[in-house]
Amino acid sequence: MCDIIWCKKEINGKKCNTVNYLDPYCFWNWEGKVNCAECKTVYYIHMIQGFMYIGPEEVNEKPDTSPLYADKPLEGYRNYLPGIEGRTRPYQCLPRDIYLGVADMVKFSARGRPVRGWRPQPPSAGIAGSFGFEWDIQKLTPEVWEEYQQKLAKGEVSEW
Amino acid sequence: MAKDMRETRIEDLPGPKSKEELEEMKMPYEEYCRATFDPGNEHTKPEPLRGVRWMSTTMYIFTPHSVSNLAELGAEVVKVEMPRMGDPMRHTSPFNECYLYPLHDTRPMTGTGLGFLNANPNEYYITMDYHLDEMKEAFYRLVKMFDGLTECYRPGTFDKWKQSYIYLQELNPRFIYVWGGGFGYGPKVFGGSYDILGQAHAGLASVTGMHDFMGGHCAKHSNWCIDWYSGTQITFGILAAIHWRETTGLGTMIEFSQVQAATRCLGYAAPMYGRFGIVRQRWGNWDTQLCAHGIILCGKSDFPDVANPQDKHDACYVMVSAFQDDDFKELCAITGMKDLYGKYKAHKDRVEGEAQVEIYAALEKWAEDKSRSQVVKILQDAGLLAEPVMNDREVYESEHFRQRGSIRYLDDPIFGDVLTHAGYSSGMMSKTPRRQNWIWRPVGADNVKIYHELLGYPTATVQEWYDKSWI
Repeated sequence: MCDIIWCKKEINGKKCNTVNYLDPYCFWNWEGKVNCAECKTVYYIHMIQGFMYIGPEEVNEKPDTSPLYADKPLEGYRNYLPGIEGRTRPYQCLPRDIYLGVADMVKFSARGRPVRGWRPQPPSAGIAGSFGFEWDIQKLTPEVWEEYQQKLAKGEVSEW
Repeated sequence: MAKDMRETRIEDLPGPKSKEELEEMKMPYEEYCRATFDPGNEHTKPEPLRGVRWMSTTMYIFTPHSVSNLAELGAEVVKVEMPRMGDPMRHTSPFNECYLYPLHDTRPMTGTGLGFLNANPNEYYITMDYHLDEMKEAFYRLVKMFDGLTECYRPGTFDKWKQSYIYLQELNPRFIYVWGGGFGYGPKVFGGSYDILGQAHAGLASVTGMHDFMGGHCAKHSNWCIDWYSGTQITFGILAAIHWRETTGLGTMIEFSQVQAATRCLGYAAPMYGRFGIVRQRWGNWDTQLCAHGIILCGKSDFPDVANPQDKHDACYVMVSAFQDDDFKELCAITGMKDLYGKYKAHKDRVEGEAQVEIYAALEKWAEDKSRSQVVKILQDAGLLAEPVMNDREVYESEHFRQRGSIRYLDDPIFGDVLTHAGYSSGMMSKTPRRQNWIWRPVGADNVKIYHELLGYPTATVQEWYDKSWI
């Protein structure tokens, strides 16, 4: 369940006709100013238990927040998705930009010790794919071993 | 010293001489715990399940976890995987990013994803296409030498392949057989299952998340909590079956349905329906039985200027507990909600839905201009129970967890430096602690150890099976 502000503001002789969705999570008990996602007209509203007690009244002030989502049903549902700056509310739950979506190659753990997080690895299995219980890093990947020695010398390897 | 050396007098013995002195000489409890549990030195102590041998023909988390509990406690576990491919769980990783290599020499560009972590530590890894007739002998020979097996296939699959409990108990009457079925037997017997399905079908997801008046929807837990939970329940079944076998000499078949497991942690849900016909509703970060006892949102993040969005935006939640009358009075006094205290003096009044909405809204209003740490400090200084909602980085940096050893680095013999937490956060045992020896091993890493060294097949035969992709 969700209340809306259907913006009828006339812009250049044409009605804005944008439906701004006031999601109950933010607006259930709320008093403040919210912008229209399309024309950015600011409305004052006061909602109590999901009921629009006062408003929407047009005011000439900065908005406190934005609608979660908006669309234009009279124009084939052209919409503003969550997270569009200045129009809809920032949506922090989108995947973080720090996630790459592709395998991330690492050679050292967060504390600077070698970890086998890169590919390709040199073949090192024995009969029928069997492995011992040792990663001979010096023999298998001497360049990583060398880098590790340099990190040790520079004091970049820590306990935590 | 007594004149007669044969006489023993209490004052000549070392140690306390009186009850008072004994009390004085006792170690402080904190020191006693540190010395007794001694995190970091688990490997100097014996393993409680040493001697138990278990086969794991499992996939994903639910059934593998039932066996990993045994392996962490010292059982010798052999995980049997698909040749070249391994457990499908190896090929999952958070947002496809985090892998450790190698998986198998034939696939140099493929690794094992961190989705596999914690579900299969300390195990030996062999490969076997056990549905082939040619591999039946090796499979049966393992069954004869092992104490039990856990499998997770659709019902009747192992029966069709002549390796269900009906067959295996004839080979080894002491055998304990676990079928971790999704739905178990019953009208929906052929339904497959995953953790989310377990949470959904058992009624757990319907009561998880915020109430719909706050814009909430049914939610699953971000982690696969029902996989981990039901796996551990199976482990209890296995330990009980081992105990039963010591008495009777006979094995057991354990049937465990993942979708029924979640109903056990649903508390009063079903009994309430049975008594009153009321269907339990979602109540999110608050509590249906206690108030105030929930998580509130503060206005400011503890780390407003850092780059990591998990710190920047989410470090603003606090768990607060003040449901007893005196505590609630104090909470109202320090947050200026005196009128609310007057209104909801009795717990039975403030635990009601409307009262909770009012109380938590007022609390969040009070916390609007404060950061998480400010709120925690104010509440703790007032003698109330309050803790910040911490993220993984904060857990990693927490001195409490570090000193207890529940989060620590493991120098894995094949994969190098890996941060682990699961094995050491599952409770401590002073004499026979859990331990992690390795996180996992490449696919088929122990083929020679098991087929050649344990079962006695010549290495030429092992190599031949390998070349034919039977193992």
